[in-house]
Amino acid sequence: MRRRWSPLARYRRSLWILTTRDLKVRYSTSALGYLWSILDPLVMAGIYWFVFTQVFDRTVGHEPYIVFLLTGLLPWMWFTGAISDSTRAFTKEAKLIRSTTIPRTIWVARLVLSKGIEFVASIPVLAIFVIVSLTTDHPAIVGVDALWWLLAIPLQAGLTLGIGLLVAPLVVFFRDLERAVKLVLRFLFYASPIIYGLHDLPAEFQFWGAFNPLAGIFSLYRSAFFPEQFDAFAVLISCVMTVLFLVAGFLVYRAGIRRVLKEI
Amino acid sequence: MAPAEGAIRVHDLGIQFKRNRAARRSFKDLFAGRTRRRKPDEFWPLRHVSFDVAPGEAIGVVGRNGQGKSTLLKLVAQVMLPDEGSVTVEGGVAPLIEITGGFVNDLTVRDNVNLTAGLHGMTTREIAASFDEIIAFAELEKFVDTPYKHLSSGMKVRLAFAVISRLEEPIILVDEVLAVGDAAFRAKCYTRIEELLAGGRTLFFVSHSEKDLLRFCTRGLYLDKGELVLDGPIGEVVKRYNADYGVKG
Repeated sequence: MRRRWSPLARYRRSLWILTTRDLKVRYSTSALGYLWSILDPLVMAGIYWFVFTQVFDRTVGHEPYIVFLLTGLLPWMWFTGAISDSTRAFTKEAKLIRSTTIPRTIWVARLVLSKGIEFVASIPVLAIFVIVSLTTDHPAIVGVDALWWLLAIPLQAGLTLGIGLLVAPLVVFFRDLERAVKLVLRFLFYASPIIYGLHDLPAEFQFWGAFNPLAGIFSLYRSAFFPEQFDAFAVLISCVMTVLFLVAGFLVYRAGIRRVLKEI
Repeated sequence: MAPAEGAIRVHDLGIQFKRNRAARRSFKDLFAGRTRRRKPDEFWPLRHVSFDVAPGEAIGVVGRNGQGKSTLLKLVAQVMLPDEGSVTVEGGVAPLIEITGGFVNDLTVRDNVNLTAGLHGMTTREIAASFDEIIAFAELEKFVDTPYKHLSSGMKVRLAFAVISRLEEPIILVDEVLAVGDAAFRAKCYTRIEELLAGGRTLFFVSHSEKDLLRFCTRGLYLDKGELVLDGPIGEVVKRYNADYGVKG
């Protein structure tokens, strides 16, 4: 009757159970369900589209601007959602963490995964705007660069996991960090190429802008429709930064988990 | 089953806590110099604790409140990690500690059973096979599709006990969960624990009830001021504890 789970199988299964639990809770308790996960980016995109194309004359980004915006906004939602949730990764699940022995990085990994699934689920919204744009003067054409998404998604998952592993235990020790993270995320929204492209930055900022690991990742997503957005230098830096964040995240997590388990 | 399955080896175990846990550190502390930083006073709820448990043994842990009983259980369950020494556990643990912790208010009883049993390592097929048994044990046949939050607190504990006691793990940890629930259900839990013991499980039992300790356990551990004062047959341990702290009749 008894069987042994291999560590990897146990990890995968526990991660999957918790991720589906999160999604199930979210969708079973709200009438609009799936709509909520696309409504948020949709409203944001609508606002920025209105402000930057109707109120101001847009000087940044590309036509169709709504597609340009969404290719940055949707991945951003994934990143910001997972990171702000990871500030509560331990406090929210304290009771469950105190009663199960599943591998502990799951408490962060599940947040990255469930927000990642919501990101994938919101891609149809982008597809609709792409299709609509085909009837206009500025159609968005999917190029072969769309294959970069295959790099962008794991890269972003890795980066988000690394930062999440860094943030989650530190918040338990320094409660102020929860608010600091919120502030940094708000800053990062404007400091990352979301409403503009990396190349729209003034020349002297472009070099430093590339050191934002999100810049390279977003340039990969964008290159699917706007090949000129691809920036090899920024992508390279994103890869290096992702590895650094993952290493730092795992080290901090390993060093902190003993105290986290006492504090929660 | 491997012969050593169910064995526990605790060697020179120690864990340190901060006394003023409420006073969390803030950024100011982080940037303050090492000398100016508030030094939270630290203490050891458990230290220099060593013992070995053979598979199938039933251990009762005795001590006053705050002497490290629950902490010891959490260390054996490996939901807390020691600062000194080591805990080696052969095989999995079914922890009846904070048992209602993993349940989600908004999900139904059915979803919660699948969730908790799954997180504790049961396969989907095993859960399906023992699902009816779990529900029957918890006496919740009419509430399978009720959201968990609508259960009474007694029902919640019944459900939790039903799930955890169904786990096919060689070691069971019980931490005073049986204090809740009505007499009839408590009797049922006791029967279940006896069944598990008869099936060769290792039991780790924390209780203030002398009757329960003598009923289930063969060996006792007496913890006082963070140290293992006495490790011996349960009768002797209970007698010593009563001599130290018991109310004189």
